[in-house]
Amino acid sequence: MGLFNYNIEKYSPKQLVIIPLVLLALSLILLSVNMLTTGFPLTPGLEFSGGYSYSINTTQSDDQIRAAFTGYPLVNVKPASNGKLLEFGPLDETKRASLDSFINQSYPQHQPLSFNEPTFGKSNQSLAVLALIFSFIGMSIVVFVSFRTFIPSVAVVLSAFADIVMTAAAMSILGIQLSLGTTAALLMLIGYSVDSDILLTTRVLKRQGKLNDKLTGAFHTGIIMTSTTLAAATAMFIVSWYFHVDILWEISAVLLIGLVADILNTWLTNAGILKWYVLNGGGK
Amino acid sequence: MTPGNLKNLIKDWRVATLIVLLVLSVVAIYPHFDNKGNFTTNLQYGLDLQNGAFIQLKLNAEVIGYTTNQPVNEFVANLSKSLDAEVIQVDANHLEIRKSFTQAELDPIFSSSGGKIVSYQQGVSKTTADLAKQILDNKLNTGGTQDVKVIIQSGIGNVAQYIRVEMAGVDMNQAQELVGKQGKFEIRIVTTNNQTDHIVFGDSISSVGNEEKDLQSGSYNVPFTLSESGAKALQDAVIKYGATTDPTNHNLVMILDNVTVFSGPLASNLASELRTTPVRAMQASTGIGDSGLQQAKDLAIHLRAGALPVGVQIVGSETINPEQGAKNKAVSLIAGILALITVGFVIYYRYREPGIVLPMVLINASEMIILLGFMAAIRFQMDLPTIAGLIAVLGTGIDQLVVITDEILHEGKVPSPNIYLKRLARALMIIVTAAATVVIAMVPLMLMPLTTLQGFALITILGVLVGVIVTRPAYGRIIMQVLSK
Repeated sequence: MGLFNYNIEKYSPKQLVIIPLVLLALSLILLSVNMLTTGFPLTPGLEFSGGYSYSINTTQSDDQIRAAFTGYPLVNVKPASNGKLLEFGPLDETKRASLDSFINQSYPQHQPLSFNEPTFGKSNQSLAVLALIFSFIGMSIVVFVSFRTFIPSVAVVLSAFADIVMTAAAMSILGIQLSLGTTAALLMLIGYSVDSDILLTTRVLKRQGKLNDKLTGAFHTGIIMTSTTLAAATAMFIVSWYFHVDILWEISAVLLIGLVADILNTWLTNAGILKWYVLNGGGK
Repeated sequence: MTPGNLKNLIKDWRVATLIVLLVLSVVAIYPHFDNKGNFTTNLQYGLDLQNGAFIQLKLNAEVIGYTTNQPVNEFVANLSKSLDAEVIQVDANHLEIRKSFTQAELDPIFSSSGGKIVSYQQGVSKTTADLAKQILDNKLNTGGTQDVKVIIQSGIGNVAQYIRVEMAGVDMNQAQELVGKQGKFEIRIVTTNNQTDHIVFGDSISSVGNEEKDLQSGSYNVPFTLSESGAKALQDAVIKYGATTDPTNHNLVMILDNVTVFSGPLASNLASELRTTPVRAMQASTGIGDSGLQQAKDLAIHLRAGALPVGVQIVGSETINPEQGAKNKAVSLIAGILALITVGFVIYYRYREPGIVLPMVLINASEMIILLGFMAAIRFQMDLPTIAGLIAVLGTGIDQLVVITDEILHEGKVPSPNIYLKRLARALMIIVTAAATVVIAMVPLMLMPLTTLQGFALITILGVLVGVIVTRPAYGRIIMQVLSK
């Protein structure tokens, strides 16, 4: 692809890995701070935290709505086709009844949309986290089994880890919640983000030729691979953003962030470690 | 490409498999116009692409792995008494306790009864989950609502903790009402000339057993127990109308929501017993053979009047209104088509060669069609996460076609058939490894009862497999033909 050139020969392994490593460290710090302050690295969505949601027909601004609901745990106001989507945290029976009658009075045009029991949400949340952990472990095993050399395998697994951590940090900054949909997106990232790492490692370790030529060749193929997935995710992102289909919007946003992180980690982190490994006599 | 080449290409098993699968998929999807002239297909849509509500039910019970040094029957009976709960033996090492207890609450009671807990899982056994599903299916589909789907969500060891009920065309408040509603059950007696008179309502039935086979007559029956007042009411009625002396002309009739679900005479021994004393333990006989068995099963459900074998709690529900559902569907379609076009442009930007780009995009599209065909064939319900997964498959599927093309075109030379196959094999190695990571990444989800994401995982895995086994080898063969012209 002629858009930008990637002169991997110009940079030493150290120079290559420094930017992503700093970003990874910052991301880890951000997620740890979240963990310490809220007990969970990401903001859980309604499905996981438990609570209620309503759609209301209104022309009021977000601030006016927040003011109207000061007595209730209103956690989110989202745009919807004819008004707003309101998300409330867990409520007890009486508070719930009072919320219902308040909405009935103030917003006659409304509809209750969802309800999630906090304990049910919690158990789903732990399942989602478990799924992510197991999935990552499984992916690592496949990588180690297929390359059977320690450092290159570690490089791939580290890049994938950095992808997920950076994506999670970006989600936290942009206010994208961890929901069933975004869990699915993170799992897709675990599976798909190693594509280009596997291509890179296979080309560098299993082919004859000069290291720099192999790196450039791998980049040539790898970047187009990521671009196609980026293209598909962008199409999904634009359409779902324009029409307010939240689940698709969240999934595609997470995929987009993850793929950008993947470009960084594959061609800086992974390529850097691999270059260092080969320059120090590995791979032959 | 000459006609002869084309013929050879189609004869290749890789290409032939692809074509056959494509044809089968189109048949399975079955795009057609229905009798109102609307375009439609066999594809099934999840609730978020239609309209309706779902309810997530938690089953209040535990499955306990245990050991005991006591005789099993005694042990189970003791437990049931000290817990004041129904305890069912699932298999030699597992019990089902039909009430909510924590492991800490159960531990001392197990040890005082001479047993030990080996494993503790919230939920019910598969048999109980199936029964609950059958009861819900029965109750909700007779209630006038259509399109009710009851989905058991089981985890490890087939223990189900949650049941998801999906109902089209209602909102979540209506759905909760329908699920919570008990049927109206009544026992009546035939008086004269097909007239009947009321005996008791469903609240007089204190328990219902499972269907069993009478070893002497070979006929199936359902045992049930009446409350004391119910037994008295029944005795009074059968004496009043003379059913104790002439049972055959005075059938007992059971009615659920105004539909007769059972009608039969008093057994002669029961009739004579009722002349002197009220009887609480009854059984309704449904006849012999498979039809008798089926009727007994149905009757057991009816007698429970829609009551589930275990207590349930509504832990989640959601409404999808019609506008949102229709919009989600349209947006999914637009996003899918747009994704295919954008991906096509990216590929064209890279190769600038219609001979390469066209097969790539066509292969990519055929991968989608095969996946949709498979979903139609297994009546899989497509929902939004699945669609996101499909679009991702679209983006990554073409990745792997790029790997194949670049591997083959290495150093820009068109290779000889021998070298070609070597390179194709090398490309397939990369692809298989990448595919394995995706499959492994999705396996944990397959095993977890995480509401709708199980389906998403299944389709993603399937997408990868279709790619690796069918479409990518076919592409390798087609692109060889294109490059060697």
